[in-house]
Amino acid sequence: MSARPAEAAPPIRTRGIVRENRPEGSYWRLTLSVADFTRFAPGQFVMLSPGAELAAPRTDPLLPRPMAVYRARAAEGAGCEVEVLYKVTGRGTALLSSARPPEAVAVVGPLGRGFPLPPPGTRGLVVGGGTGIASLYELAARASARGDVRVLLGARSARDLEIARDFAALPLRLRLATEDGSRGRTGLVTELLAEELATSDPLLVYACGPTPMMRRAAEMAAAAGQGCLVSLENPMACGFGVCLGCAAPLREGGFALVCRDGPVFEAARVEWENLA
Amino acid sequence: MSARAPLAPDRVDARVNLGGIALRNPVLTASGTFGYGTEFAPFLDLRRLGGIVSKSLTVAPRTGNLPARIAETASGMLNAIGLENVGVEAFVREKLPALHPDVVVVASVFGTEMEHYAQVCARLEGEPRVAGFEINASCPHVKSGGIEFGQRADVLAELVRTVRRAARKPLLVKLSPNVTSIAEMARVCEGEGADGLSLVNTLQALDVDVETRRPLLRNVLGGLSGPAIRPVALRMVFQASHAVKIPICGIGGIETAEDAIKFLLCGATAVQVGTANYRNPAVAGEIADGIRAHAARHGFARVADLVGALEVPGV
Repeated sequence: MSARPAEAAPPIRTRGIVRENRPEGSYWRLTLSVADFTRFAPGQFVMLSPGAELAAPRTDPLLPRPMAVYRARAAEGAGCEVEVLYKVTGRGTALLSSARPPEAVAVVGPLGRGFPLPPPGTRGLVVGGGTGIASLYELAARASARGDVRVLLGARSARDLEIARDFAALPLRLRLATEDGSRGRTGLVTELLAEELATSDPLLVYACGPTPMMRRAAEMAAAAGQGCLVSLENPMACGFGVCLGCAAPLREGGFALVCRDGPVFEAARVEWENLA
Repeated sequence: MSARAPLAPDRVDARVNLGGIALRNPVLTASGTFGYGTEFAPFLDLRRLGGIVSKSLTVAPRTGNLPARIAETASGMLNAIGLENVGVEAFVREKLPALHPDVVVVASVFGTEMEHYAQVCARLEGEPRVAGFEINASCPHVKSGGIEFGQRADVLAELVRTVRRAARKPLLVKLSPNVTSIAEMARVCEGEGADGLSLVNTLQALDVDVETRRPLLRNVLGGLSGPAIRPVALRMVFQASHAVKIPICGIGGIETAEDAIKFLLCGATAVQVGTANYRNPAVAGEIADGIRAHAARHGFARVADLVGALEVPGV
């Protein structure tokens, strides 16, 4: 199965104008309006350079940050409104959280090969954990517009799942799990997955989240004889296949670049043991 | 400062000659930061550049190191990619033909043995699209090869001699900064017939995650690049340019046209842009335009006249 998005546009470097940037539960939601972007495939990403563009050249933090496109929609007039969900975990994301409208940030995208939609007659089973949920909204939205989709989201606590309301507004079945039991099932999202896999219906599992979660989901899908795609996250400097920093080892030998060959991969190809 | 009357930018001749490689302007892209050029086609017309230096090519393809391969540091980054490349045959067959004929291509060459360097050069010698070679004598993160060639004067001399015999095209040697005397290494290369020097490669470095008590890179050591190393690189270019007559290509943390001008003033005939390509894939073209504008503003009719034009006050 190819993970090539049907509607990929060539990447460009441009500026995104900050429309909104606010905390939402344990995440921040950044909305950029990008006049030159036309379309995104579900699961694609952008490289964002934190800090106001056109200010004095900033060298620390030096590198742009890969960010999944959470939601993209045609803007009034031209271009796209691009939403990014992120957690403040370091200097780059702290700087990003200080961006205020109508500052501009440098954007490179759309990047990567995203998720293909489920084939006709196959149910999409979308499994998200923690910040991995940010890669899955567009997939859930587009797949649910034309077929049977179930979404399973898991996180530590209810604060991490406030964004579930976006998914709840879609025509799909949504199930939640939290480790502390503050929302949905108490436990891991993979426990919900086990229940959903107890069927003979053809499924395609889509997983994005912490590596142990994706690895477990991949093993469970394989054991159930169902297909599984995962979206990997790796440190990267460029996002378009030249720094070679994001190499992920493959079971068949050698490496694939998360930025160029992924971030979406068939789970069976991933060598989980040596993933950074 | 000696004042000159400003010129219109289109009156400035930006051409330079780097050891027999004619460049339309002094800006190249550094090996390992620019893929094989085609990756940048969506962002930049490569004909705006003086040229590109390919990823270091070996006789056979290499898959590179296990992750983590890169890490961000203060105003810089560490890498230990492991010289992953498609190999010289695939470069000739697939990568070279994909580039516009007007793009000047310098082939970076690497081997774990001296003869392998010579083999790669011999394979490329008949390729008209290759304008010259850059010998990677300095990659600090590969356990076999790399560091030994660039760090010992006698070994470096033998390497340049070996490659020189196989290469009629212009031959640049990319020097390691991890040496006691860059001037000595520069003189060794000049003495063995190199046509030019590229400096510096990355500085050997290390960073650590205190939570996990592990090095940030799987390879433990890596090469430091980016603005953090720029003043060190500039110092070495300055010293090397006083030690040899062959032209120098300055490399190290160049992010803006002003950074590039500093290297020219300190004696570099051309420059290479590396890590900056990651944050802004169009930056090398912007730097080329900026150098021309700077020369015009300062009344230099030829960019080449900026080379070594550093004015050092007497003491």
